[in-house]
Amino acid sequence: MNSRERVLKLFAGEEVDRPPCFSGMGNVTTEGLKSLGQNFAATHLDAKMMAKAAASTYRLFGFECGVAPFDLCIEAEALGCEINVYAHSEDLLYPTIKKKLIHNEAEMEISIPGDLTTRGRVPLMLDVIRLMKKDIGGEAAVGSYVLGPFTLAGQIMELNDLLKLSFKKPDKIGKLLDQLSGVIILVAQEYEKAGVDYITVREMGATSDVLSPRVFKSLILPYLTKIFAKLSVPSVLHICGKTNDIVPFMAESGAKAVSVDQKNDVAETRRKLGPKALVFGNYDPYNVLVAGTPDLIRTTIKKCMDDGVSAVWPGCDIWPTVPPGNMKAMMEVVQNYRR
Amino acid sequence: MATEEKKKELLEKLRNAVIQYDEDTAKEAANEALAVGLEANDAIFNGLVSGMVEVGKMFEAQEYFVPELLMCADALYAGLDILKPHVQQLDLGVKGSVVIGTVEGDVHDIGKNIVKMMFDVAGFTVYDLGRDVPLDKFVQEQLRTDSDLVCLSAMMTTTMTGMKKVIDDLRAKNPNVKIMIGGAPVSQDVADKYGADGYAKDATNALKDAINMIESLKKMKDEVEAKKAK
Repeated sequence: MNSRERVLKLFAGEEVDRPPCFSGMGNVTTEGLKSLGQNFAATHLDAKMMAKAAASTYRLFGFECGVAPFDLCIEAEALGCEINVYAHSEDLLYPTIKKKLIHNEAEMEISIPGDLTTRGRVPLMLDVIRLMKKDIGGEAAVGSYVLGPFTLAGQIMELNDLLKLSFKKPDKIGKLLDQLSGVIILVAQEYEKAGVDYITVREMGATSDVLSPRVFKSLILPYLTKIFAKLSVPSVLHICGKTNDIVPFMAESGAKAVSVDQKNDVAETRRKLGPKALVFGNYDPYNVLVAGTPDLIRTTIKKCMDDGVSAVWPGCDIWPTVPPGNMKAMMEVVQNYRR
Repeated sequence: MATEEKKKELLEKLRNAVIQYDEDTAKEAANEALAVGLEANDAIFNGLVSGMVEVGKMFEAQEYFVPELLMCADALYAGLDILKPHVQQLDLGVKGSVVIGTVEGDVHDIGKNIVKMMFDVAGFTVYDLGRDVPLDKFVQEQLRTDSDLVCLSAMMTTTMTGMKKVIDDLRAKNPNVKIMIGGAPVSQDVADKYGADGYAKDATNALKDAINMIESLKKMKDEVEAKKAK
């Protein structure tokens, strides 16, 4: 069973020999960039460089997927936001939104460009997916991600306004989330056409650290449900931070799998969702994988599997400076695990 | 001078306005407090701040979430803007100035703004650099303003590592400055590793720590000056 088969079988609900060790989020490493002689900032803007970097974690460590992009700005950029890739910086900095689309409540009536999927870096992303497929698509699962509607709203308008208006004027926010769901569906469907094996929807803005489970259910869940109904490849819903109270809603959204981070009590989630549900998680990709010792990694990863994750999967993007020995320690403990 | 009863009533009104995120009532109560001769300082600490302390508890108990917290902060500022010009003397016993900002690569500033609010109410001079702040800027601003304290915030693990650089730079240029870090991925462990003087679990703790730090800093300065005088 190769990595791609293992991941696809898992999504299809078939027997697998062991949990796969992969991610739906960024997992490019400094080691991978170094092996390719690539600069991080430039990698976000060039299809060949991005595809090669995305495949390098599989190539170097056997991590069982290739995932692009590495930043969270693709949809916002297609909608007209300006991004900053920090080309001047020698540090590893992920692109952020420099100029928002909506600056105050009065600007919330937006229109979605008809040529959305040809704008910004969407066409580049389609090239990246095709290149990844050609490169590692026979052996490893090829994935991409989109933002959830609430998190995307937080990219195109001030988070401060978004949060307060979610409370004061939910109808107005609901209308925006509905429009943004349309955007997300359009982009995700293009990714499907380009050949991704699975898509992750990242809705981290809606974590219970920020929003009440009640608001999640009434304001956000309906639009997530709308998105998952339109996706044909296997889909994952990722929310980080506190999620124990909302995992039942996450499972209700129609996503094939639920992805949570280290703050989630996975044993409890497993009890809540039952033995068949796909639960991905939930190691800390910085404090454990990057800053931890191989021993800490082994105990943490083993605990994830003992608690009942269906796939060993990080709580967020893997921070690039992960030491190669740590990646190796993780892969080994998963490969040797038997339930 | 207001009667004790009227005073109590107004403090309660200020407190509830914050808890119920009611900006209009906060303004009204602040004006009334001034009109009846209530000490502005009293109104701020025993009214507005007392409300915010309760909000903090409700947030911890997950009765309130971030949207409510932000609206409560708006109500607090509505009252504070009216009361602050009338503050005679702050009874915290220590005054200081602080440079605060979210490090480059990070555009999240809600946590930073809540901490900033605590410094505002405590009467600190706050130099707010905003968000996505180039690392050098923190050092330049500290030197320019000779601030006692620098507060760095990072919401994401991916930007937290930039704080180490700022801390090293600040230490090299000004060994006496106190440095405090905060944000979702930050822990005591990270603070120790990066060499920060303090780590803020939340806004209330940030303020307490900041006051302690500045007190110890002032003491240090006094000792140095006492030695020089000899």
